[in-house]
Amino acid sequence: METRRDTLKIIGAIGSTCAFPFGANDLYGQQEHHHAAALAQVQSTRAPFTPKFFSAPEYQTISRIADLIIPPTDTPGAAAAGVPEYIDNVLTNNSDVQKTMRDGLAWIDNQSSELHKKRFVELTEDDQIAILRPLSDAVDRARVNSIGALFFRMIKSMTADGYYTSQAGLVQELGYKGNTVLAAFPGCDHPEHS
Amino acid sequence: MATKIYDVVVVGSGPSGGTLSAHLARRGVDVAVVEGGPKIDTRTAFNTHAMPFDFANRHIPTMRPGVAGFESERSRGLGGKSMTWNAVAWRFSHRDFKGRSIDGAGEDWPIDYQDLAPFYDKIEREVGVCGNLDHLEDLPDGVFLPPVPMKCSDMIVKRGAAKLGVKVIHVRKSTRSVASATQPACHFCGNCMAGCDVVAKYNSYDVHMRPALASGHLTLLPNSIVREVIVSNENRVTGVRFLNRETRAEGEVLGRTVVLACACVQSVALLLMSKSRRYPHGLANSSGELGRNFIPHFTGGVEVFLKDLVGRPASNDEGFLDHAYVPSFMHNRKRDFARSFGMQFGYQNRRSVGWARSLPGFGQEYKRSVKDRYPGFLVFSPYGEMLPNKKSFVDLDYDKPDVHGLPMARRHVSWGENDQRIFREMTRWSREILEAAGAEFLSEDPHPATNHELGGCRMGVDPRTSVVNADCRAHDVQNLYVVDGSVFPSASEKNPTHTIMALAARTADHIADRLKKGEA
Repeated sequence: METRRDTLKIIGAIGSTCAFPFGANDLYGQQEHHHAAALAQVQSTRAPFTPKFFSAPEYQTISRIADLIIPPTDTPGAAAAGVPEYIDNVLTNNSDVQKTMRDGLAWIDNQSSELHKKRFVELTEDDQIAILRPLSDAVDRARVNSIGALFFRMIKSMTADGYYTSQAGLVQELGYKGNTVLAAFPGCDHPEHS
Repeated sequence: MATKIYDVVVVGSGPSGGTLSAHLARRGVDVAVVEGGPKIDTRTAFNTHAMPFDFANRHIPTMRPGVAGFESERSRGLGGKSMTWNAVAWRFSHRDFKGRSIDGAGEDWPIDYQDLAPFYDKIEREVGVCGNLDHLEDLPDGVFLPPVPMKCSDMIVKRGAAKLGVKVIHVRKSTRSVASATQPACHFCGNCMAGCDVVAKYNSYDVHMRPALASGHLTLLPNSIVREVIVSNENRVTGVRFLNRETRAEGEVLGRTVVLACACVQSVALLLMSKSRRYPHGLANSSGELGRNFIPHFTGGVEVFLKDLVGRPASNDEGFLDHAYVPSFMHNRKRDFARSFGMQFGYQNRRSVGWARSLPGFGQEYKRSVKDRYPGFLVFSPYGEMLPNKKSFVDLDYDKPDVHGLPMARRHVSWGENDQRIFREMTRWSREILEAAGAEFLSEDPHPATNHELGGCRMGVDPRTSVVNADCRAHDVQNLYVVDGSVFPSASEKNPTHTIMALAARTADHIADRLKKGEA
């Protein structure tokens, strides 16, 4: 049986201050937001995308890290779900987080070149994961005091936000079934709960 | 042509203004509703069936592209907040009206449950409130449509709560579980607070005002942002001055009686803005109490994953958001605070997955852990009753005018010792119940947050300590009324709108009777 102590580990992982443009609970427009939200074209095939905030090499790195955070499995990973486009959109519209992102990307490539004399995207998957793992651990322990950890917390949050609000993440991966017309609410059909 | 003088001018068109004006019009009273925002068609204006991936920034905005509405507190639109409310509808009980007499703190209402009971009946018959007859002394039953079945998560919480002797009941909502001649039944698309596109959920425009237009006694004046209530040398209000929302042109609407129904804080702000030689500190403020006794509800939150649901396939269980409720139980138990709390839970829909970023790790394992937990995610939101204190009030910020050049309303909230005790206790109880139900804990709000704004125009018997009397009429001005959450002398822990609507129906009767007798 799980103890209170186990569960509190997860609470600790969240940290109290977030360097994100919006809190997790604000994401889906439950409040009165007044952003000029353009309707995205729902596209069956994704057109080539030119990032507005990221340079081409930066965008490669971002796309790779997003896919390491949420990889393709029997459902699409972050990159195929359009997460890099989403992250570019967030960065374009939130100048206050741009520096953390730029500094973090520079730090990642520095680290790669110090250890392996290559850019991050040129490393093997194992080497890439080896660079990210300590950053992720620091975030999970709520020790977010380095450029790398700040960067990882930001990109992980944006990847999770972007992925689980995408068609691939919300519908294919999580199996979202709502937003339908039901003649009557069926109630709980688990025999052990009803 | 002489300017028309209405019998009654109502400022605001939400649950209160909508109810009141429809009830007056039906009795043959000529009434004008002055609303700051535009007319809104709930069938086409909102993003009821939108998904986050329909938008590049993944924010589902309130209005569809190019549709006006919900611009500011002073200009939401016809129907006001009833367009986007969650429709929870409780009757207050004797304990809620007489809290001071019962536990010695805060303030009593000058009216009691029996005074409002017939009007709760009336509203429930008109609107269609679904709910179960639970026979609870503290949560009076009413005239209900059948309740909506509980979700699996509700059943799991109910079982956990039962181990601690705590009851879980069906929620009661002003949403139709059965169709009427004019409204369909709810179809459980799960996005009530985005605006209901079929009017299964009550909104004051479609359910109250629109049908009342047929009487010929109701005039709707949208796009008119009221900036002042006009008072004569004879100490009577004669109407209101407004700014056109689009052209900024000034205008006036005249009436024999004026009712403010602007959703608590904006009614207070409008009175504070209406300064005159007789009322230099705001209209109807000879007591100096206007804006004081601001007592919004406070809420907390505990986020968990119900272990029984983790790892199961996702089901279509958004329903009409929350289907169950934990009514107050502490008022009958030994405790070290006055008043009590109740608990809403599960009113987030499954389009919100903001918690995913908080799970540890990354990679395949992380992806799996999000998927496994998705069906089990649950937010517990207890609501507590705040006691009035000197540091909690509403005033105006003249240094920061809004887009119309009017001072912004400013809220000051300071938590007293009793409030903090309730907050700690309601958070602790949330944890206990969820633990008993079998939960993995994700997060917990460390501080209270406000919701359901109440107080500021306190109702009372004594003109020195209150702003309006038991009929919602200003002590200072014979033909001025305030009918919304601002008049609540004590807040209860129960969602307030149903009581606001019952008060509006009661005040409509009172005003119509007075007009008939020629007293107004």
